[in-house]
Amino acid sequence: MRLLVVEDDQTLNHQIVTALEQAGYAVDKAYDGEEGQFLGETEPYDAIILDLGLPKVDGVSVLTSWRREGRKMPVIILTARDRWSDKVQGFDAGADDYVTKPFHMEELLARVRALLRRATGHASSEIVCGPVRLDTRSGRVMVDGNPVKLTSHEYRLLSYLMHHTGRIVSRAELTEHLYDQDFDRDSNTIEVFIGRLRKKLGVDIIQTMRGLGYLLDTDRTSA
Amino acid sequence: MNRIRLFLKRLAGRSIAVRLAVSAVFWSFAILLISGLILAALYRDNTERAFDQRLLVYANTLASNLVSPGDAERDLGPIGDPRFELPLSGWYWQVARPNAKPGEVRSSKSLFGGQLPSLAPDAEAARFGEIRRGYGKAPDERGLRLIERDIDLGQEGRFIIRVGGPADEIEDSARRFSFALFVTFSLLGLALGFTTLLQIRFGLQPLAQLRGALGAIRRGEAERIQGEYPRDIAPVASEINLLLETNREILERARTQVGNLAHALKTPLSIIVNEAEGAPNEVKVREQAVIMRDQVNYYLDRARAAAMAGTLGTLTEVEPVLRALARTFDKIYRDKNLQIEISTSPATRFRGERQDLEEMAGNLIDNAAKWAVGHVKITVEQQQQDERPWIHVVIDDDGPGLPEGAREEMIKRGRRLDETKPGSGLGLSIVSDLAALYRGRLKLEASPLGGLRAKLELPGDGG
Repeated sequence: MRLLVVEDDQTLNHQIVTALEQAGYAVDKAYDGEEGQFLGETEPYDAIILDLGLPKVDGVSVLTSWRREGRKMPVIILTARDRWSDKVQGFDAGADDYVTKPFHMEELLARVRALLRRATGHASSEIVCGPVRLDTRSGRVMVDGNPVKLTSHEYRLLSYLMHHTGRIVSRAELTEHLYDQDFDRDSNTIEVFIGRLRKKLGVDIIQTMRGLGYLLDTDRTSA
Repeated sequence: MNRIRLFLKRLAGRSIAVRLAVSAVFWSFAILLISGLILAALYRDNTERAFDQRLLVYANTLASNLVSPGDAERDLGPIGDPRFELPLSGWYWQVARPNAKPGEVRSSKSLFGGQLPSLAPDAEAARFGEIRRGYGKAPDERGLRLIERDIDLGQEGRFIIRVGGPADEIEDSARRFSFALFVTFSLLGLALGFTTLLQIRFGLQPLAQLRGALGAIRRGEAERIQGEYPRDIAPVASEINLLLETNREILERARTQVGNLAHALKTPLSIIVNEAEGAPNEVKVREQAVIMRDQVNYYLDRARAAAMAGTLGTLTEVEPVLRALARTFDKIYRDKNLQIEISTSPATRFRGERQDLEEMAGNLIDNAAKWAVGHVKITVEQQQQDERPWIHVVIDDDGPGLPEGAREEMIKRGRRLDETKPGSGLGLSIVSDLAALYRGRLKLEASPLGGLRAKLELPGDGG
C-alpha cells in the first residue's frame, strides 16, 4: 500500500511519514500544494493524507483538482480548521475523512486502515484468504492459526495482494504500490519477494499468471 | 417669537422634506403677501388718479363756463352730469372767490346750500394755479374725494373751484380689487404649495431610493447599494459601499487570522502529542493537549462570533446548509448506517452568517449522530414570536437521551457528561453561546424518537 502525505510542517510531516512507514506502508511526502497535486495526479496512491493549509495551492483546491481529473483514491483531510463549515467544504470537495489537529497518531492510522479497507471492499480489519489471516490493525499474519514473521517488504506485498483478492495484480502495479518514489525499483525484486513469501506462508495461495502478474485466488485455496 | 423659532427648528430638524416645505411655504407666503400689498396700493393709486381725472374735467368745464363772456356771477350749472343736480348725491362742485362770505358762494344743487371743505387751510398762501387733491367730508358726513383749483380771470378776479365725488367709489373699487387679488393669490399660493410638494417628492426621490437600498442591505437582501444616483448623492452611495466593503474585509481578515491562529497553534500541538508517544507522561500530555485544543476552539469561536456581531445582517438559506451537513455526516458516520432525515421548506431563511448556522447545526447534528442508533431527524419550523419571525431548528435522535437534570448541565461551558464518545465537550455550549449572540437560544428536551431533542431558536427572515 502506497500513501502520500501532503503537509507543510516539516516536523509533523516527518512524524506522520515515520508512523506510516512503521505501520508497513510505502510513503511519499510533499511539502506544498503544488508538489502534492502533481504527485497525486501522476502516482497511483492507495490513500492520501492532505493538509488544508498548504503553501502555493491550498488543500481544497488540490483535492478539487484531483477529483475533477477523475482520481478516486481515498483522501483524508488533516487540518487545524475544525469548524463545520470547513469540514463541509472539505467533504464536498471530495474528501473521504477528516482529522483535526491536534490528533493522536493511532487515530490517524486507524482512519487510514479503515479507508483502505473500505476502498477495497473489506468490512473488518481482518482479511482472510483461505488459511491466511491478515490483521491490518496489528500487522500480524497467521496461517492456520500460527503466526508468521514477515519483513516489512514481504508484509506490504502480502497486504496489497490480500486487499485485492480475486483480481490479477500486475508486476508493474505492485512496483508502483509497494515502493515509495525514492526506492530503486528493480522488477526482479518482486519475484524474489514472492518466492520468499510463498516459502514463509507454506501454502500455495499465490498463483503466477504468466505474462500478466499474480492472483490470490480464494476459491482455489479454500477448496 | 422664540416659540415659533423653536417650533420651526423642531419641524426642520425632522426631515429634509419638512425643511424644504417649511421654507418654501414661508417664502412664497411672504412674497405673495408683499407683492399683493404693493399691487393693491398701486391699483388704489391708479383708481384715485382716474377719479381725479374725472373731477378735473368737471373743474375745467366749470372754469371754462366761468371764463365765457358774460356775467361772472351767472349760474354755472349744469355741467353735464345730472348727479350734480340731485341733492346729496355725493357729487358736488363749488365756485367761490377767496375769502368769500357764505352768500357769495356758488355751488351745485346737490350741495343743498352746504359747503365743501377747503383743501388749502390758508387760501392766500396757496400757490396760484395749483391743483390740490385730497379727502374731505361732505355736509352729510360722507367721505369725499376733492380737487381744488385756483383760476385767475384777470379783471374779474380770482376764483377757487372745488369739485368732489364720493370717496366710496375709490374705496369700493380698491376693495374689490384687493378681494380679487386675495382670491387669486390664495389660489396661486395653493398651487405653489402643491408644486413644491411634488418637487420635494421628485427631488428627494433618490434619497428615498437610497434609504430603501440601505434597508435592503440591513435585511440582508443586497450586498451593496445598486442603481444610478444623481451627482449630489452618488458620492454618499459610493462611500457607503466602500464602508460596507471595508467592513466585510475587516470581518474576512479577522476570520482568516483566527483560522491562521488555529493552524499556527494546532500544528505544533499535534507535534507535541506525537512526540510524547511512548513517553512515561504520554497520557497527561494528551489530556492537556485536548484541553488546549478545546480552549483554543472555544475562544476562537467566541472571537470570531464577536467580530460578526454588529455587522449588517445577512440572510442564509437554511435548507442548503442542512443538506450539506447531512452529506458530510453521511460520510463521517458511513459505517453506522445512519439515516438523516430533513424536513424544511426551501423558503426558510436564517438572519445571520452561514458559517454560524453551519457551526450550530453541525455541532447539534454531530451530537445527535454520535448517540443515535440509526435515525436522526431534522425539522425546521417558522414561528411568529413577539411579532418577529423566528426559525426553530429541531434535531431529534433515537439514542439513549439525557435525564432532565443533566440537560441543563450539558449546555454549560466545558461540561462533558460522557467521555466515552469522542469529540469536544464544548460543542453544545458553543452552540448555546452562538445562539445567544443572535438573541436566540438552545433548549434540550426529550425526543419523541426516544433520545435527545435539541431545539435551536434563531431569528428568521422578516422580509
